[in-house]
Amino acid sequence: MNAKIKLENHDAQEIKYTTCYMCACRCGIKVTLEDNKVRFIQGNRNHPTNQGVLCAKGSAGIMKQYSTAKLTQPLMRKPGTERGEGIYEAISWDQALDILTDRLEEIRSTDPSKLGFFTGRDQMQALTGLWAQQFGTPNWSAHGGFCSVNMAAAGLYSIGFSFWEFGAPDWDYAKYFLMWGVAEDHSSNPIKIGLEKLKRKGGKFVTVNPVRTGYSAIADEWLPIKPGMDGLLAMSMVHVLLKHEKFDYEFLVRYTNASWLVVQSPGQKGDGLFLRDENDHPLIWDIDKEAFRNGMDGDIAPALFGEYVAPDGRRVKTVMSLMVERYLDDRYAPENVALECGLPAESIERIALEMAHVAFKETVELPIEWTDVWGRKHDKVVGRPVAMYAMRGIAAHSNGFHSCRAIHMIQMLLGALDAPGNFRARAPYPKPIPPHQLPENNIDIINAPNTPLSRPPLGFPTRPEDLVIDEFGNPLRIDKAYSWEVPIASHGLMHMVITNATNHDPYALDTLILFMANMAWNSTMNTSNIQDMLRAKDPEEPGQYKIPFLVVIDAFHSEMTNFADLILPDTTYLERHDCISLLDRPISEPDAAADAIRYPLVKLDRDVRPWQEVMVELASRLKFPAFTKPDGARKFKDYPDFIVNYERSPGVGFLAGWRGKDGTKSLKGEPNPNQWEKYIENQSFFAHHWPDNQKYMRYANKDYLEVAADVGFVGKVEPIIMQFYSEPLQKFRLAGQGLYDGPQPNNQVDRERLVKYFDPLPMWYEPLEQQRVDKEEYPFFALTQRPMFMYHSWDSQNVWLRQIMAQNYMYMNARKAAEMGIKDFDWIWVESHNGKIRCQVKTMEGTQEDTIWTWNAIGKQKGAWGLNANASEATKGFLLNHLISELLPEKAGERRVTNSDPVTGQAAWFDLRVKIWKAAPGETGSWPQFDELKPLPGDERYERPDVLRYDARSHEKN
Amino acid sequence: MRLGLVIDLDVCVGCHACAIACKEWNASGTIGPLSDYQPYGAEPSGVWFNRIRHYEMDEYPNNKTVNFPMSCMHCEDADCVTVCPTGASYKRAEDGIVLIDQDKCMGCNYCSWACPYGARELDRSSGTMKKCTLCVDRIYDQELPVEERQPSCVLTCPAHARMFGDFDDPDSAVSRTVRERGGYPLMPELNYNPTNQYLPPRRKPVIPVETQPKGGLKESIKQFANKLVRR
Amino acid sequence: MHPAFSVIFFTVASGAGFGLFSLLFIADTFKLGGGFTPVQIVIGGIVALGLIAFGLLSSTFHLANPKNAWRAFSRFRTSWLSREGVFAVVFMPLALIYLASIWFEAPLWLRETFGLLSAVLAWITVFSTGMIYACLKTIRQWNTPLVPANYLALGYASGSLLLLLGAVIAGLDTTPYIAMSALIVSIAAVLKAIYYFWIRSPGLTPTINTATGLTRAKVKLLDTGHTHGTFLTQEFGFQIARQKAGLLKVVVFGLGFALPGLMLVWVFNAQGGQAAAVVAACAGIAGAAVERWLFFAEARHVVNLYHGAQRC
Repeated sequence: MNAKIKLENHDAQEIKYTTCYMCACRCGIKVTLEDNKVRFIQGNRNHPTNQGVLCAKGSAGIMKQYSTAKLTQPLMRKPGTERGEGIYEAISWDQALDILTDRLEEIRSTDPSKLGFFTGRDQMQALTGLWAQQFGTPNWSAHGGFCSVNMAAAGLYSIGFSFWEFGAPDWDYAKYFLMWGVAEDHSSNPIKIGLEKLKRKGGKFVTVNPVRTGYSAIADEWLPIKPGMDGLLAMSMVHVLLKHEKFDYEFLVRYTNASWLVVQSPGQKGDGLFLRDENDHPLIWDIDKEAFRNGMDGDIAPALFGEYVAPDGRRVKTVMSLMVERYLDDRYAPENVALECGLPAESIERIALEMAHVAFKETVELPIEWTDVWGRKHDKVVGRPVAMYAMRGIAAHSNGFHSCRAIHMIQMLLGALDAPGNFRARAPYPKPIPPHQLPENNIDIINAPNTPLSRPPLGFPTRPEDLVIDEFGNPLRIDKAYSWEVPIASHGLMHMVITNATNHDPYALDTLILFMANMAWNSTMNTSNIQDMLRAKDPEEPGQYKIPFLVVIDAFHSEMTNFADLILPDTTYLERHDCISLLDRPISEPDAAADAIRYPLVKLDRDVRPWQEVMVELASRLKFPAFTKPDGARKFKDYPDFIVNYERSPGVGFLAGWRGKDGTKSLKGEPNPNQWEKYIENQSFFAHHWPDNQKYMRYANKDYLEVAADVGFVGKVEPIIMQFYSEPLQKFRLAGQGLYDGPQPNNQVDRERLVKYFDPLPMWYEPLEQQRVDKEEYPFFALTQRPMFMYHSWDSQNVWLRQIMAQNYMYMNARKAAEMGIKDFDWIWVESHNGKIRCQVKTMEGTQEDTIWTWNAIGKQKGAWGLNANASEATKGFLLNHLISELLPEKAGERRVTNSDPVTGQAAWFDLRVKIWKAAPGETGSWPQFDELKPLPGDERYERPDVLRYDARSHEKN
Repeated sequence: MRLGLVIDLDVCVGCHACAIACKEWNASGTIGPLSDYQPYGAEPSGVWFNRIRHYEMDEYPNNKTVNFPMSCMHCEDADCVTVCPTGASYKRAEDGIVLIDQDKCMGCNYCSWACPYGARELDRSSGTMKKCTLCVDRIYDQELPVEERQPSCVLTCPAHARMFGDFDDPDSAVSRTVRERGGYPLMPELNYNPTNQYLPPRRKPVIPVETQPKGGLKESIKQFANKLVRR
Repeated sequence: MHPAFSVIFFTVASGAGFGLFSLLFIADTFKLGGGFTPVQIVIGGIVALGLIAFGLLSSTFHLANPKNAWRAFSRFRTSWLSREGVFAVVFMPLALIYLASIWFEAPLWLRETFGLLSAVLAWITVFSTGMIYACLKTIRQWNTPLVPANYLALGYASGSLLLLLGAVIAGLDTTPYIAMSALIVSIAAVLKAIYYFWIRSPGLTPTINTATGLTRAKVKLLDTGHTHGTFLTQEFGFQIARQKAGLLKVVVFGLGFALPGLMLVWVFNAQGGQAAAVVAACAGIAGAAVERWLFFAEARHVVNLYHGAQRC
């Protein structure tokens, strides 16, 4: 006889829709609640991002909600105790806000730059950035600088959109997909959905990655490249394409600057800049009219190749000619890069030609009528169905900016961008190249007390004048972003903040606010030393820390909170309002502009507040102009009120859906007081589906660009011409050469870096750290990746996920290990120029022979994250971070320079070189070990049973 | 009916989404809770119905990583059922789902010995054996939307590497896919006739390449000629 | 397989008990060595039933939910475990009637009928115990008729040594008992030797390739998907080093067969060497316990293929 099957009691259940926050993917979720307990979290079928599916983290959201690591109340470091001891006293929110307001008021009315405000896995940068701007400090950024700014910057300075969140492969039509350095990256679920689609249709999937796990596992072909060599590989592919004349002539002429003319006057000012007319338009040579003509115009017939003499007598060459000269050089022939890349020359040549075949012989044609930006009508859209995606494996090298540009170069040569089957843009992208937004660099405004910045702290410099430096060339930002050291640091350098603030270089901070960033552990380089810096006292000011006041906002008891002077506890994502805005990092898909919200689903059971509420409160108390009425009263009641009523420009606010008084307008319209309700009614997201004629070639699609200009995605309707050759880079290079009419660096180190690394065409150079360490002594590359079930996750060691992985191992190639006499589960020492660690080994086939790697952020400090002190995360898990320095190895006669990409300031996590050897018998357990975190006031409310039996419906069953 | 799953090894990226979705649904489902031991301690472990293992085929650099989810195969000839002394384990006549009556199980582990696939795990707290129910409390729940009446692992799988259906119906999607893709059962030599089938990794597509061998590179640079292409 | 002590104790004790009881019946029927007195038979029978009862009791210790143990009798038609339970339970009253018929000097036909019935049931029960393991296709080392044969032989060998001890204590002529023990212990030793020889040859068994269906190349485990142990690794992951197993096999033969054999000679020569009989019985049972531990320890469940074993 069959047993009785207990079905759900649907009458006792409530179903609500919101947005996941377990990573940057931000999927739509359908949450079933029963008696204020979370019964089930599943993907929302109607949501454009995840279409009903959900990853392991998303489903484990239940255990995040019931994590015993949740902070419960505001905490103040106990007077008389030292920072880092972790001894706290509970205070009320009123007290906490008063303390913080007083401190911030003082800073703002004297020297606003003394506040640093940096955010981690934050999904509200539009608000945090606005807050910093209104405060008047340039010292704000999110974690992009140590995440993937190389990808963002390379894309935005080359094609107008980018890998990362501003584009996605067109899985519906792609027939060939080349994935570079992608482990588990945003957007994780869409990539999984897409790979299956591609393979189901018989498309080919090739992966370039030193490690074969995750997505790479299912690739049809694996190219186990040596870390940091991707740019060389890409340029070799360009070599092959050029050699076999496999490029899209029409695309290059129409949509890129390949035909623009570059001045050739080495050693003279203006060398390497575009030949321009009196209106500053770049010029081309028209082979029909036989004249120099405006390269932005529509009725031109440009020469793609050639060298000409400008009317002023200067020699000029087309960009394409410069490219051919460079990349056809034998240096880039597959057989000449094979050894450096660690790949067979045959594979390099074949993959390039396979892509060419698919691009040119298997084109996709859709019968869609569209109009180009020059007014011509087309009766179809032609797609060259080769798509690419690239992420952190490219980004996290100090040559990543150029490597990523080289990948975009392949896409441009193939004419494979934003057409069917390509890598396509996601609204609000594409934008002008680079986007028309400059970082605030007016020193008078920056120094002015009680004055907002006139522009956001971050932006996209186009020339040395845009740098954020003083008259002597010194950085104005604490992280030295937009200084000569890292001129195009468009996401800031969060990884340098603690070091610079401790060294008072370029100046001292008073207060550092860190939101949701574990900068004392897995999100920082050089973890042990960074912890010491956080504890460092100022010898000049007895009793004061080098960083005098540290405020940490988090929902969980992380290693970072342990160093806070003031802890402000945040809520979980199921307990608050949020918006995922088009002004920020939206959830748009290529076919739809989209944004989303969260709203409280679960009742709060502790004395915590959403940080965005607290920011609105602080902004009101500090009387930021944007948050204050002319009469001085506060403008916004709370965060939801702010989201509805704040307008960045008339009609454009944080949420794009259901605007207008009656909620009938999309993308632009007056504030709608019922906007939140409309979102909730519509399952917490909004999607504006682009009509067919606005879906493709949006860099030159008139109908699309008209809408984009109207709603503020772009400034005006004009072609977005893709840039093989980047003139902004050349301007910086000229400054380095002393040939620039404008600011020039006075430090030799900076001059050399500009000359060397600011090549206007994509280039490859050995990663900076590797230029300085002895490769014989440190023979291995060392890297990390996040496992799929913890990727980008705020707290990953929750009860379910940690059962899958509670300890990380150091993986290495099996044959290599055997040669070295290393076996599975041996303990080894790993040493870099910066330090050493002890960890346990596992061998595998799918790792490039000269590479070792581990899963990041599994290792935890004892007592952190609600775990017992004996958790294997703490006793056997480890961080590679100890080995990575935030500074390059010292070089005689040179100041210490950041271990980052010299163009963008992207943290060079993966440039690390190490040596390994077997630990002595008896040497077991991970090393180094750290003091155990003490329990916090409020922790006593959590039971940590030896057996957990979660059942949201236990009340029904008993 | 013979209900079961198809697992597509060609597209499974090994993300463990199905394993967690299973845990999440069943923790509060008809067979829940599913105990977690040492949830905050040294060696966390617990009861799961669906586990994902990862294998490597062949040797570097020709190796391939294969992610391998496994749960109850709902065998036609389920020894776990025949060996059960209490009658707690049973196979439903109407749909072939193998279940364990929690009210009857005495926790002798014998069924788990008979299972070659590691599908059964003892819950030490309840003292009973537990296993995949094929979400029997979802698939027949008339109050759920029709498209959601599927096992939660199938609903959630981001790579759509899991399919659910009736293998008795030759026209069902699962039957067709297994035919077309050469689906196979695990360890067929034991003659358990597992219902669940695995789709092997596809052969890699062959793409022709056209080369235009040129003379020396200097020559090819010279040969690039401008074409009259209007923007 | 994880060697659970409750199960080892159960199978060894109940095997010896059933063996002793069966042989006691034979000794009684044929008045071997002059025959036991009724009191002696009843005492011997109670010892045998005690071993069986104690064994059965101990087997319930490995149940995670013993309150449902009574349900174990319900699947007699398909489950050897159920059958074993049923046979054991049916055996008990029959055995008690047999002992009672001796005690109360009931008619011989009654005594003989119930003696025979209980002896046959004892044999069937031990056979069923063996079949619990032998019917599992998942464990190559068990899936053989040698397993019930071994269970029977070892149970009866232990029983015979206990019976010999009884005969020595009762002062009977031990020659037939020595002969019986020698025969059964020899058979057990030969069967065990065949078994150990047999499990060494791999045979056509599942491999990691057939387990995963990935047959084109060598397959290796990369990751099990859990850092720490699971029910499966705890229950099936146990592995014994080849060397250690070899050593233990020497112990099995030394303790279980050789030493009792030696002691039989001693008893035979010394006529009434109580100490030797005690040593023989203890060594035989200890040897059986080691054999049983090894029986579990050497068994490799096919689920281990999914945890990385190349073959089982």
